[in-house]
Amino acid sequence: MSAAPGRWWRHHPMSARLGAALMLLLLVAALVGRLWTPYDPNTPGVGDPFLAPGARHWFGTDQAGADVFSMTLAATATDVWLTVVAVALAFAIGGVLGAVAGYWGGWTDWLIMRVTEVLQSFPALLLAMLLVAALGNGLVNVIVVVAFVGLPGYLRLIRAEVKARRGWEFADAAILAGNSGAGVLARHLVPNSLTPLVSYAAVNAAWVAIVVSSLGFIGVGIEPGSPEWGSMIAGGRDFPDEYWISLFPGLGILLLSTAFYLVGDGIVDRDER
Amino acid sequence: MVGTVTARPTAEPAAARLAAVALLAGRKLGGALLVIWGVVTFTFLVVRVVAPDPIGLLVPPGAGTEVRDAVRTELGLDGSIVSQYGIYLGHLARGDLGTSFGTNQPVSDDLLDRFPATLELAVPALIIGVALGTGLGIVAALRRGRLADHAIRVVTVAALAMPPFWLGLMLLSLFFVSLGILPGPIGRLPAGVDPPPTMTGSYVLDALLAGDTQTAGLAAAQLVLPVAVLACGIFAPITRVARSGMVEALRSDYVRTATAYGFPHRRVLTAHALRNALLPVITMIANGVAFAFTGAVLVEGVFGWPGIGQYALVAVQQSDFPALQGFVLYAAVVYVVLYALVDLAYAAADPRTRS
Repeated sequence: MSAAPGRWWRHHPMSARLGAALMLLLLVAALVGRLWTPYDPNTPGVGDPFLAPGARHWFGTDQAGADVFSMTLAATATDVWLTVVAVALAFAIGGVLGAVAGYWGGWTDWLIMRVTEVLQSFPALLLAMLLVAALGNGLVNVIVVVAFVGLPGYLRLIRAEVKARRGWEFADAAILAGNSGAGVLARHLVPNSLTPLVSYAAVNAAWVAIVVSSLGFIGVGIEPGSPEWGSMIAGGRDFPDEYWISLFPGLGILLLSTAFYLVGDGIVDRDER
Repeated sequence: MVGTVTARPTAEPAAARLAAVALLAGRKLGGALLVIWGVVTFTFLVVRVVAPDPIGLLVPPGAGTEVRDAVRTELGLDGSIVSQYGIYLGHLARGDLGTSFGTNQPVSDDLLDRFPATLELAVPALIIGVALGTGLGIVAALRRGRLADHAIRVVTVAALAMPPFWLGLMLLSLFFVSLGILPGPIGRLPAGVDPPPTMTGSYVLDALLAGDTQTAGLAAAQLVLPVAVLACGIFAPITRVARSGMVEALRSDYVRTATAYGFPHRRVLTAHALRNALLPVITMIANGVAFAFTGAVLVEGVFGWPGIGQYALVAVQQSDFPALQGFVLYAAVVYVVLYALVDLAYAAADPRTRS
């Protein structure tokens, strides 16, 4: 991660640039969706029901006559925000636990790794589904659950990195210079272990975007009635003739997920060159 | 030594391989049992501690405490959490996953009833997904950096980034509503068509075995879209792994050496590069099987398919925790066993992984 965006641009392959551009577009759409939509996304009857996409309603209207474009735009913030926060949370908590397990080893490491193994034995979406069903729908619950389910991946990665570097000379030197173990871990070992985590996080975010919308689709997402792409698609499920109700929110998920995949692939490609 | 080089790496003695793998299998079994115990305990805690009290869902509204207590006792929910845990483990050991609130049937019976339908989607999807994934991955690696590679990458990323349930709905809109060439989301057979006598559990095979080609055709038509959606989720990750494995193998010293010895290109590819490149694909096949479970939940609902995925979906919507718990537990145990088998497959194929 270099400081200047220009440098980042020059040093990454085409796929990463395309991904970054897509991500910027989605961020702008999320921001716009918060401030302005052509119609109120939560109000039915702004047009006739089941209008096909046209000049007045770009993405058409749903069974209640709500404007699909306004709903899709308003939902952008929800899905982008959920994905980014869940990934950041998993990154942070998984990073700390993994670093601790990798550096100190012993029974802490043993316990953390056994719990990780158990969590990774569940197909991730099914575990998330069970947990949200148990905790109840809601924005915070979905974020916590998705982060929790994604956490083991980060934990294992950083644990392996820290474990490998623990015995390196720069770590020994820092200890001999009078630093505490925790200080060396935080200031030297963790920063040196982050690179593989960044590309993993990007690819993981692509997957998280799909999990978040899947939870919405099967009815264990955020509060019912809030705009979210997955639950919008579920709303259009019973109307296969009016494809546009599901098409556009699905394209939103596709774009978000693609953006993260491209950035993740780009970072991997850069590192392999 | 010149002239004694063979194109094929010498195989290790079969007896030594068997002994090493058997030893590992014993260790893996112990580890797998420990993990399965963890999985059971974790789901128990989620369902009995985190989830809301199920009694409210089971008794008629306004029922008195006597009725509530009777139901509680009947379900074994009246003791302390530790004794409940003991009872639960005892039931599980006898294969009893509890009784579904929704169907009033034992969850294990419900799952067994619905499993053939899921399998009828999963098996063809896996075969197509694995074949397509390895094929595209190898082609992409051989044509690295050229048009075919780029095209495959675009298709793969799109397949990965696409929510399966959405793809299913869009394919239905196109092939059922607009073009009218494939049947709608009405399950395994159109209404009014009797299922064939059960032999394998697959409607297509059973109808063929019974000599009823018309029913077999109808059942096959119902399969096309859901299988396509599942295969789409399976082939994409396999393509990526097969491509990177093959790219790495093609750059390796042993491929360069074999090429330098003048072995035919085709032989270097199949006997040297492919053997090593496709090892990681074993893991991806296990992931594909796992995806068949996850995908079932997302896809079966869209197509009205009466499998275990739709069962889980209904369970979620009705807060039917015994059913949901049973399904998740089932999937997790399959997952654990599958990955233990994958490790053994690696050990059999590659002695370096036997540490």
